[in-house]
Amino acid sequence: MGVPAAKLKPNKQLLAIKRSKRKLSLTPLLFILPAIVPLIIFWIYPMGKSLYISFTDWDYVSPEYEFVGFSNYTDLLTDPGFYSVLVNTVVFSMGVVIPCVGGGLLLALLVSGNGKGMGIYRTLIFSPWVTPTVAVSIVWSWIYEPNVGLANWILTMLNLPALGWTSSSTWAMPAVIIVSIWKGVGWAMIFYLNALKKVPVSLYEAASLDGASKWRQFLHITIPFISPTTLFLIVITSIDALQAYDQIQVLTQGGPAGSTRTMLYFYYQTAFEQFNMGKATATAILLVVITAAFSLLQFIFSKRWVHYQ
Amino acid sequence: MKKAPIIWVKHLVLIFFSFSMVFPFLWMVISALKTKDEIWQFPPTLWPNKPMWHHFADAWAMAPFDQYIFNSIFTASAIVLIQVINSALIAYAFTQLRFKGRNLLFSIILITYMLPVAATYVPSYVILADFNLLDTYSGLILSNAASVFGIFLFRQAFLQVPKELIEAARVDGARHWTIIWKIIFPTTKATFITFSLISFVQNYNNYLWPTLITRSESKYLITTGLRQFFIQEGAYGMQWPLIMAASAFTVLPLLILFVFVQKWIISGISDQGLKG
Repeated sequence: MGVPAAKLKPNKQLLAIKRSKRKLSLTPLLFILPAIVPLIIFWIYPMGKSLYISFTDWDYVSPEYEFVGFSNYTDLLTDPGFYSVLVNTVVFSMGVVIPCVGGGLLLALLVSGNGKGMGIYRTLIFSPWVTPTVAVSIVWSWIYEPNVGLANWILTMLNLPALGWTSSSTWAMPAVIIVSIWKGVGWAMIFYLNALKKVPVSLYEAASLDGASKWRQFLHITIPFISPTTLFLIVITSIDALQAYDQIQVLTQGGPAGSTRTMLYFYYQTAFEQFNMGKATATAILLVVITAAFSLLQFIFSKRWVHYQ
Repeated sequence: MKKAPIIWVKHLVLIFFSFSMVFPFLWMVISALKTKDEIWQFPPTLWPNKPMWHHFADAWAMAPFDQYIFNSIFTASAIVLIQVINSALIAYAFTQLRFKGRNLLFSIILITYMLPVAATYVPSYVILADFNLLDTYSGLILSNAASVFGIFLFRQAFLQVPKELIEAARVDGARHWTIIWKIIFPTTKATFITFSLISFVQNYNNYLWPTLITRSESKYLITTGLRQFFIQEGAYGMQWPLIMAASAFTVLPLLILFVFVQKWIISGISDQGLKG
């Protein structure tokens, strides 16, 4: 009884495959188009178009424009002002990414496991991530108020000198960085929590039997095991940091004296305040190149220290 | 006996961190309740002498916040609905259908995920202007209609649906629609919920792009409206209590939502794919 059924099954399967092969031409399109059409109109085409505009002197208003070759790029790269924008971008990104990833790991180590209250800690630490950056940056701009703000009150209680925060060209950048870390560290923590869960317990047990200290276990078991997550987080948080805008607009508007003007803020000002579309898109393309180069570098270097399973 | 103190230290450290993360929200509410005189006192009072609860109503009445919040919730919901449907469909194509250029297409989408979205702003703005979609709900919704993040998340989830289940249904002659609705959706429901929540939060919080493409107050999202209110009140001698009250009713709906759905958001980020 069972034999004919087993014989029949492959035939039926074959038929099904044949049937689906015949319909192959159009069906996938129906599934792909609803996502691909907006993706092309608002992502892929604009990327190409940005590259095109970056070789022109288009000012948005006039219908005519001229090709200017690479002059937008050479203008930018020979402008000392643009270098301070580049430096600000790098300082901001490093200042956010390193503490976010490092702090995320530290917090994840602390709240991992099913101990009492761990769920509550996780929720509280992650909560800033869900709130609008604009709204919380407004709250932080009140915290940073130089005369009566909370930040300076805490500093005076610790017997430290009060700071100018967002009105000082030295402290504006740290102020913006602190808000960004506060908002992003919980995100990194959640990713690490999951990675930590996947380290096989047997490895720790074996290491303990061999007399390895907790610290050595961490260095030689935990760190290599979670390295793919570390790489992923560094790349993703860098991409986010390179695009930070909301907190800068609310807290400092790129100031004082351009000390917090990052590439994206510079891009926004050039495009939508000065309507110098050629220069703005050239900035955007440089940002794309930097992001791409950075991600690529991460992946190349990662071959040395990331251990995929 | 030896272990107990370590646990206490751990809890103390965690309480300190958790408190620091939440304190700005508490400070926001406390500051909203202070009078104009009290808020400029130094050192600041930790709780207002006489809480001005009416500041919330005052701030609410000073700008069309109800309109802003409606705009944000309406456009974010519409975007989430569209993104869920089109991301799930294309993820189904990537995981269950075979067609030419499938891997190439996926690689292209993978690369877009790495590119800064800001690079698209100028041309996207021009496209919206050409279609007369600036300052409209349709413009806000359509320009956000695709989510690369969503495509990844759904693809990752659909890859984990047992192949035998889908094969069996296919052999029984089930159509694509039936497979999606009866097999894939029930087994990956968590991803649908998680993605919807994350995307809703991101769209509600979105600021730069919606600000660029809206001009009239009646179309402002809450983020744009709040920032506008901040500039206005700042111009007349910093009405911090009112600004804090307005920030509070922008932030609190999300925090309350988060308390109820945090399980989905947190597990969604960590459990379902998107690992390096």
